[in-house]
Amino acid sequence: MAKYTIGKIAFYAGIIAVWYVVAAAQIWPSNIFPSPYEVAEDLAYGITDGSLFYGVAVSMWRLAVGLAIALGGGIILGIFMARVEIVNQTIGSLVLGLQSIPSIAWVPLAILWFGLGDGGIIFVVAIGAIFAMTINTYTGVKNIDPHYVEAARNMGAGGIKLVTSVLIPAAFPHMISGFKQGWAFAWRGVIGAELLFSYLGLGFLLHAGRSLNDVSQVIAIMLVIMGIGLAIDGFVFKRLESHVMSRWGLG
Amino acid sequence: MGKLEARDIVKYFNHESHKLKALGGINLKVDSGDFVCLVGPSGCGKSTFLRIVAGLETKDEGEIIFDGRPVTNTGPERIMVFQEGALFPWLKVQDNVEFGLRMAGIPKDKRMKISNRYLDMMQLTKFADYYTYQLSTGMKQRVAIARALVMDPDVLLMDEPFAALDAQTRDLLLVEMQLIWEKTKKTILFVTHNVAEAAVLGNRIVVFSNRPSIIKKEFENNFPRPRVAEDESLLELQHEILSELRPEVKKK
Repeated sequence: MAKYTIGKIAFYAGIIAVWYVVAAAQIWPSNIFPSPYEVAEDLAYGITDGSLFYGVAVSMWRLAVGLAIALGGGIILGIFMARVEIVNQTIGSLVLGLQSIPSIAWVPLAILWFGLGDGGIIFVVAIGAIFAMTINTYTGVKNIDPHYVEAARNMGAGGIKLVTSVLIPAAFPHMISGFKQGWAFAWRGVIGAELLFSYLGLGFLLHAGRSLNDVSQVIAIMLVIMGIGLAIDGFVFKRLESHVMSRWGLG
Repeated sequence: MGKLEARDIVKYFNHESHKLKALGGINLKVDSGDFVCLVGPSGCGKSTFLRIVAGLETKDEGEIIFDGRPVTNTGPERIMVFQEGALFPWLKVQDNVEFGLRMAGIPKDKRMKISNRYLDMMQLTKFADYYTYQLSTGMKQRVAIARALVMDPDVLLMDEPFAALDAQTRDLLLVEMQLIWEKTKKTILFVTHNVAEAAVLGNRIVVFSNRPSIIKKEFENNFPRPRVAEDESLLELQHEILSELRPEVKKK
């Protein structure tokens, strides 16, 4: 990893340098193709006037609520599908169909059902993530070594105790994949929904940048979206994954 | 302490389009505190029989009687030790051993006290904080046995627990198993395909026939303990068991 650090830094420095040179050459007007300096200025402005933090906070809050609903619902649905065949044959087939709908396609329904507010955006986030969570939980529970369940039953685990002490921990490696996919869908969903709802959040700031013909704001917000995505992937999921993998001896 | 009895246990398997009779009426009485080994050709249904006794598998006919009452489900008085241990990889050794106590709602400090005793008995104290992937196969089986003993069952049901072990580890565990049995006075039903193992461990050795299995022959084994696998006095018994077993294996 450290071996490539210098190469990485050089690569990004190179991109910024090329960007700077192209912008300085004035091939396109600067309101269409701003220089990295202008984008940085916009970022700094967003930080000092607080609008960026506010946008991030609103988007993250919607993401967190939607994702929490998706996780809870997905785990319950997935476990039921894996343990009760009739649920799998009925709801399971529906889940497979619904997961092929891009979360942004739920926006019109969300607006009609929940109005142009937080409720609608959270709905889009939750519905975008829940099926990935459901399917991965289902796969995880289906793949549990049956001897784990038998041993646990033999030692007196039944009902909800069996779920919390065996099914969930045993399916956890798969559930992390579902969580990761769900988060990726949810993150795309929240930005997309905010763009269309144009009601606060990072997506709204993107939309506002476009309305004002402010390309540097659009790029600045995109950089923030990318940064948050990378940070959550790297800090939350990589760590969670390596923690679980090493505990299972799969690392 | 209860007496365990199997009455005319019949079990069919669904094999492609037809039914296959796996167990053709098993009758077995086990006194409390006895050590009974079940041997038979592979695929004869001896493990299935053990799983029926554990309540993990249904039977098509017959009854399992424990303590005068028929049993239909699993119970903490009949605990199974699986061939591969079936330890939970998300739990440390100590938490694996405490699992049944936790399910029974026993508070943490009391669980610790009980599990420490069995960790000590199985020489696992040093490994209490290990995860299962850090253990050798032999160590895993020690944990599996400790996890079963913690439940303080009347009957220990062991399904080829030493089948995957190397010879030295197995010899060691064969001696230890006898000590544990003498110390804990458990009733043990032990399934194995290894005749030498059965001759070392069992007070009684029950030979299953090929499918549909019935109990073909029973041997008493009163040689003094602790016995070891290379005891010459056991060789004759092993030969007798083998001569019952060999035609069954050939029938396949």
